[in-house]
Amino acid sequence: MNGFFAQVIPPSPFNAPNGSAELWTRLVIALLLGVAAVVALMKAPVSVRKPVVAVSTFCAGLYWVVFFLWPRPVNRLPGDMPSGLVDGVGFWLEDANPIVGNLSNVLSAFLLGLGIYSLLRIHGMRVIKGHKDAFFSAVLLLGILAMGVFGYWDWLDKMSPTGPSLALEANWAFQNRVRDFLFDGLLQEMDAGMFSLIAFYILSAAYRAFRIRSIEATLLLATAFIVMLSFMGLVTGLLDGVIDGIKGTADPGFLDNFKLTEIAKWLRATVETPSLRGIDFGIGIGALAMGLRLWLSLEKTAVSS
Amino acid sequence: METPVTPPAMGFAEKLMSVKRHTLYLLLIVATSVPTFFSITLPNKPDQPSIDFFTTVMALPEGSTILIETDWTKSTRGDSMGQMQALLRILMRHNIKFAIYSTADPAAPQVARDTIGRVSEERRAKGERPYVRWEDWVDLGYFPNSEATNNAIATNIRKAFAGKTEVPGVGQPATDVFRSPVLSHIQKVGDMPLLLVVTASKTFDIIVERLYGKVPLAAMVTGVMGPESTVYYASGQMVGLCVGLKGALDIERMMESGVNNPPDKPVVVNKKNPEVVPGFPGDDNEGNGKAYYPTLHLALTLMILAVIIGNIGMVLTRKGAKS
Amino acid sequence: MQYGDTGWIGVTVTLLLVTFILGNIFRAKKGKDLYIRRIAGLNAIDEAIGRATEMGKPVLMVPGLGALNAISMQALLIFAHVARTAAKFGTPIRLCCADAAVYTVAQELIRDVYASEGLADRYDMDSVRFISDRQFAFAGGVSGIILREQTAAAFFLGEFYAESMIFAETANSVGAIQVAGSTEKTQTPFFIAACDYVLIGDEFYAASAYLNREPVLVGSLIGQDWSKVAIMATILLGALMNSIEMRGTTVFERKDGVLQPIAERPMKIADTTFTHLFKPQRNPEEDAKIEREKDPKFDAGAGEGGGE
Repeated sequence: MNGFFAQVIPPSPFNAPNGSAELWTRLVIALLLGVAAVVALMKAPVSVRKPVVAVSTFCAGLYWVVFFLWPRPVNRLPGDMPSGLVDGVGFWLEDANPIVGNLSNVLSAFLLGLGIYSLLRIHGMRVIKGHKDAFFSAVLLLGILAMGVFGYWDWLDKMSPTGPSLALEANWAFQNRVRDFLFDGLLQEMDAGMFSLIAFYILSAAYRAFRIRSIEATLLLATAFIVMLSFMGLVTGLLDGVIDGIKGTADPGFLDNFKLTEIAKWLRATVETPSLRGIDFGIGIGALAMGLRLWLSLEKTAVSS
Repeated sequence: METPVTPPAMGFAEKLMSVKRHTLYLLLIVATSVPTFFSITLPNKPDQPSIDFFTTVMALPEGSTILIETDWTKSTRGDSMGQMQALLRILMRHNIKFAIYSTADPAAPQVARDTIGRVSEERRAKGERPYVRWEDWVDLGYFPNSEATNNAIATNIRKAFAGKTEVPGVGQPATDVFRSPVLSHIQKVGDMPLLLVVTASKTFDIIVERLYGKVPLAAMVTGVMGPESTVYYASGQMVGLCVGLKGALDIERMMESGVNNPPDKPVVVNKKNPEVVPGFPGDDNEGNGKAYYPTLHLALTLMILAVIIGNIGMVLTRKGAKS
Repeated sequence: MQYGDTGWIGVTVTLLLVTFILGNIFRAKKGKDLYIRRIAGLNAIDEAIGRATEMGKPVLMVPGLGALNAISMQALLIFAHVARTAAKFGTPIRLCCADAAVYTVAQELIRDVYASEGLADRYDMDSVRFISDRQFAFAGGVSGIILREQTAAAFFLGEFYAESMIFAETANSVGAIQVAGSTEKTQTPFFIAACDYVLIGDEFYAASAYLNREPVLVGSLIGQDWSKVAIMATILLGALMNSIEMRGTTVFERKDGVLQPIAERPMKIADTTFTHLFKPQRNPEEDAKIEREKDPKFDAGAGEGGGE
């Protein structure tokens, strides 16, 4: 049963030594079979497609449901053989886990290609047809190309067993410097710049929205002030110092409850945390329900049709 | 020809309510630029979650290996870079090996490597042993699916990272990471004394879901993720939590003063455990936490003032309308 | 899943919630009329699209940053309804995706919506686009679309992070009417500060049932409500039991799943029944007694790691 997995010895129809011609042959055959299956599904009538989609959706989700419900093997050591059917299925599920996980990683990589195709199509057409702002589309396409080329070139250098150590900047070649400029100099700094805009937006939103129009709004504003002030060490030092001055050396005292840090802690622990947890329960149950409907193909809406 | 109508002049109250957003933005730029020119030290009292985080990391056995999920990029460097820098300083000073991996952002591993490189160079400049990739730390890479990856780590860490290779040194071929001194003795995730996540997204949720009970967990999160992550600290599912810029500053201060230290007049008191944890007094402990804390003060002060001004304007306008 | 000690309770609770949801789906399919309360943000959808039609400006829809999961699927379900209404009015739409998988599903979905309304000729392929999977590149792209095209209505529903504030304020600056809902609790306050209508928490998941009134969706929503009541009852019972138990003392302590006698002391939270129920412990000594045969082909030097 474990011969199904690529990482298990001995070799089986589903695995081959790493880097061998045998492995490449099997990969090509699998790829062709996959393409054939996709084409067949596209040509199939809708009445055939729906059950196929429903069955594959069910099988894909079934692994994770069984993985959750089935008793896990306890005290499993390397080289152990399963001691019965329950243990055997548990072993199989555990061994399959990293492989099933990797399937989703591989899918994500392929789907990224679809996204790149969309970008290339839209912006390529804009450049070819000379639309307004075609210049920016050209910049985008050039950016995709540059990052891809120099990023891969740099990675090849880093993984190469020969050549100088790239840990020292003095050893960097042209491609390493360009990759560093594009990634650290442009991409990361632009990311940071965009994130910094949020500070400005929060300020304008707070000025516009935090008005004491009702009792609830006033309560909200008061708690917001307390929490904001509690982040400022200078303010908490001063205000808590006043309380310390009044209560003297008594430690801890009733007056400690009036320290800004204590009030803020109480608000966070007693009001904020349970509220967030309550919302979390709702969202979690909603996600469970949605997952159940998708897994069992119970959705009869635009998505499933 | 119609006579142009001049709108009536705005009253004081209306002016307070209609401050242009560009004026606010300009004030924010000025306020947050001030600490760039003046070095300001502000008082700070570390919170209990940060104290627990610090004492946990300081108690790690020397030479042990921990796993760090690093899911931040330069967009959150205000919080995360200071936290990561402080963490790496402690780990390197205690000769603790670590393996990093990411599940939230493909750029995260490079940002983490850059930070590790900077802290290592800092050590080299002081004449201390720099941290060497392969010998002291390894990069396990980026994995797009966080749930599946962390599930795999919980089930079988060697299979989760099977096939990952690193170059041990110049002139050597890429080798399985589990042959490195960092991971050679690790059979399961429970063999590590700690799994840390430095994140700006909700990957700590996933870590707790998949790995709680298998290995002790701790997190360094941005200020925005603080409220969500506090529930896990409060329930005991995380042994320590460092939140936001203040959390980074807490760690930096404790690195300087220690905890329950000196015993007769401690600067930072751990209410849960009286054990003395000496820090690294006099060493290079300051970082982004100290540098950005005054900026945080000024920005929050400006926000509070803006809210107060807006509300004063609203109250005066209502009073004027009533009369 | 481990069934040792009280590990079975997690599975039992999950199966109970699943039973509630599936049971109510079947109940709803039998034609039972089930009530859903009014949700302001969803009532505003038609108003928002109407406004965009009057102004001749497009409607913007953003399903968030997440991958193809339950959250983005739910967002697309709501957007299908929005797109249907926009198609009928002839209002242009812009659906911006940050994930390639979501983009492919969204494209198919919107095209099918137009086709089902008999308006396939009105469908513009470029109305559904993939911007970028980088958070702030996506934020920049969407902000650019809002500012250039002066969208009159904006729907932000799904998994949003820091970019939520950028979207909300940018749309506010062009005077767009905004309906937002994020499953990220920390972003909800930003939406509340800047948007006109906000779906909080699982109002987002209730949206599809509210808009379509399909029996499956309504039944599922009722099942979710039953589950929430069950959880509330458990919390109340747990709080009550813990409060009573912690007033007493104990002469036993549970360590590694085994009760050990100790000197009498006040009860701690770790000693209570509810804590034990929801925090099962395993006994490593008992676990170590489990022995299995070794695989004769196994090479101990190969270093294949074990599980837990």
